Amino acid sequence: MKRCRVVFMLLLFWIIPAAAVAAESYSFDTDEIEKKSYHVGGYVEFKPVLFGLDRKAAFYKLRFFNDPRGQNLLEANGRIQLEGSFEKNIFRIYAKTNTDLKSSYSGESERSTFYEFYGSVKPLSNLKFDVGKKTMKWGKGYAWNPVAFVDRPKDPDDPEQAMEGYILATADYIKSFEGPLKTFSFTPVIFPVYDHVNDTFGSNYKLNLAGRFYFLLYDTDIDLMFMTGGSRPDRYGFDFSRNITTNLEVHGEYAYMRNSRKNVPGPGGISRQIENEAHSFLLGIRYLTSFDLTTIVEFYHNNAGFSVDEMSNYYSLIGHGYDLYQATGNMTSLAQAELLADSGYARANAMQNYLYVRFSQKEPLGILYFTPSLTGMMNTDDASWSLTPELLYTGITNWEFRLRGSLIAGARNSDFGEKQNDYRIELRVGYYF
Amino acid sequence: MLKRIIWMGLLVVWVACPAFAVDGNKLLAEVDRNLSPESYESYRKLINIEPDGRKKEFTLFTVKKGVDKVASVFIAPASEKGRSTLRLGDNMWLNIPNIGKPLRITSLQSVVGGVFNNADILQLDYNAEYNVEKVDEKEREYLLYLKAKTKSVAYDKLKIWADKDKKLPTKIECLTEANMLIKTLYFKDVKDFGGGIVRPAVIETDSPLYKGYKSVMIFAKVKKKSFKDEVFTLTFMSSLESLR
Repeated sequence: MKRCRVVFMLLLFWIIPAAAVAAESYSFDTDEIEKKSYHVGGYVEFKPVLFGLDRKAAFYKLRFFNDPRGQNLLEANGRIQLEGSFEKNIFRIYAKTNTDLKSSYSGESERSTFYEFYGSVKPLSNLKFDVGKKTMKWGKGYAWNPVAFVDRPKDPDDPEQAMEGYILATADYIKSFEGPLKTFSFTPVIFPVYDHVNDTFGSNYKLNLAGRFYFLLYDTDIDLMFMTGGSRPDRYGFDFSRNITTNLEVHGEYAYMRNSRKNVPGPGGISRQIENEAHSFLLGIRYLTSFDLTTIVEFYHNNAGFSVDEMSNYYSLIGHGYDLYQATGNMTSLAQAELLADSGYARANAMQNYLYVRFSQKEPLGILYFTPSLTGMMNTDDASWSLTPELLYTGITNWEFRLRGSLIAGARNSDFGEKQNDYRIELRVGYYF
Repeated sequence: MLKRIIWMGLLVVWVACPAFAVDGNKLLAEVDRNLSPESYESYRKLINIEPDGRKKEFTLFTVKKGVDKVASVFIAPASEKGRSTLRLGDNMWLNIPNIGKPLRITSLQSVVGGVFNNADILQLDYNAEYNVEKVDEKEREYLLYLKAKTKSVAYDKLKIWADKDKKLPTKIECLTEANMLIKTLYFKDVKDFGGGIVRPAVIETDSPLYKGYKSVMIFAKVKKKSFKDEVFTLTFMSSLESLR
């Protein structure tokens, strides 16, 4: 009898877990979906970066002419973003702060600012007003957006980064239809530029007006946009995006600027301003294969950018200034070069024609949440390029790990060849809360 | 007399036969309506389960209107919060708050990783995307053979096993044109959500392409609700959470 009881108990212990597994049930606690009138969240990031310096490059000479470095430079970066919102009836307030921390050879630095801080009123489901600091992010391009008239320039090396907005007042009016035109929306923007209000945008004491008209017409997204008011030359543009098949999307942007201005070095290193009409466009595709490889290809042309000759003259100015400083300690030419750097020569993709190609493979070898990718960017005017392999893992809830390296190469006097670095390796660890 | 009986018999069979034949497309429309009202809101939790038992969860709020409009916004985890997706017929977009503008996506991609793809997450009525080619009637269930109406649909063919009494799916196989199995969806735990909505609260899926992996979709607070067309627009995507 005792033996039977032992066998019964053994069977019970063996059966119960099996039964539990068989009847696996999933719970969905409705408390976790209860809507609150407020939300608080954030993101913390740690990003060490190793730079391999190119000590013959123009931008190395411009930055380190009086403080030469070795082959490598190590930098530690941190970022804290906090966001919060409060909603009551038709009103909402949203804020997002950003703090960048940096520790490098030159010491430690910290910069904190509001990326966004605005209030919204939504009197109707198809009408909304926003006032405050906000990012608008117009355009369909992944790496570049020539029609982003009211945004700061995107970083093509990291296009998915959060961006700082501008202080503005805007509205969204939406109307839906039956037929080939499914949606129409209008987004007017009032964009002031005064002391302490968007004062880095352009000419001061101007009230600019911008707007975007959006149409979903014959399954194609189409936007028409404009900006006028005097802080920057008047500009007009359009963009489009359409799925040709389920796995192939095409997109494009075009912008026209009247009286676009740029500074170029003249004889003796003195800069002069050139004024021209400018046309800028982007054409791109996004293609997904049956094995989950996403390819993005974009070509960007900007005739407001610098030509090969203009860029070459600029590099010569730096070279001359560097030699002059080494020989005599005279910094005049280098100071001139630094001014020109701030006016546009140091910005990413400052020249006229670029090709961007990105391959990203979702979950290869069945490794969930793992996405390796390879990004190449080429200046098609001088055939200089950068190549960035990347490994991204998001398998742990709210954590993101990204390891990437960049090779930057080109002949002397070329765009990528005169960058400060030959390569860079960075690790980014991010946590969302 | 015998001739008259035979004629009567033939007449009865002729009259009765159409009553027994199953109209596949009508049956599919019934299955669709039993799965969800034409316009509704719901909450869903997606759980990706790895072979070693590790889980990753996502919570979404979803709204649907008519046969071809559906939109979702992620409310958890923190890393995904605020991401929203929109589907208008064959058009799909993803709005990531950091990127700030909607990007076109395709039905075969997955915004959450794992076995569920965008077509599963932004599911329209089956009737809107498929025609029924054949119905096999079994003792307790129907087996519907579906063929995609256009090439832009995520799966070329579906096989739907539907409970005969409840007219709700119990299993769906998603196949390629060449009948290769892409994934299987299992509909479980039929639950009364109120307002006349009785439907499976859990959908499990596995795939021979993801051996050992499993994804689960759990429904909560499925409710009839009507929305304005303007809700299903790119401009509204960043405001979807205001509908909760």
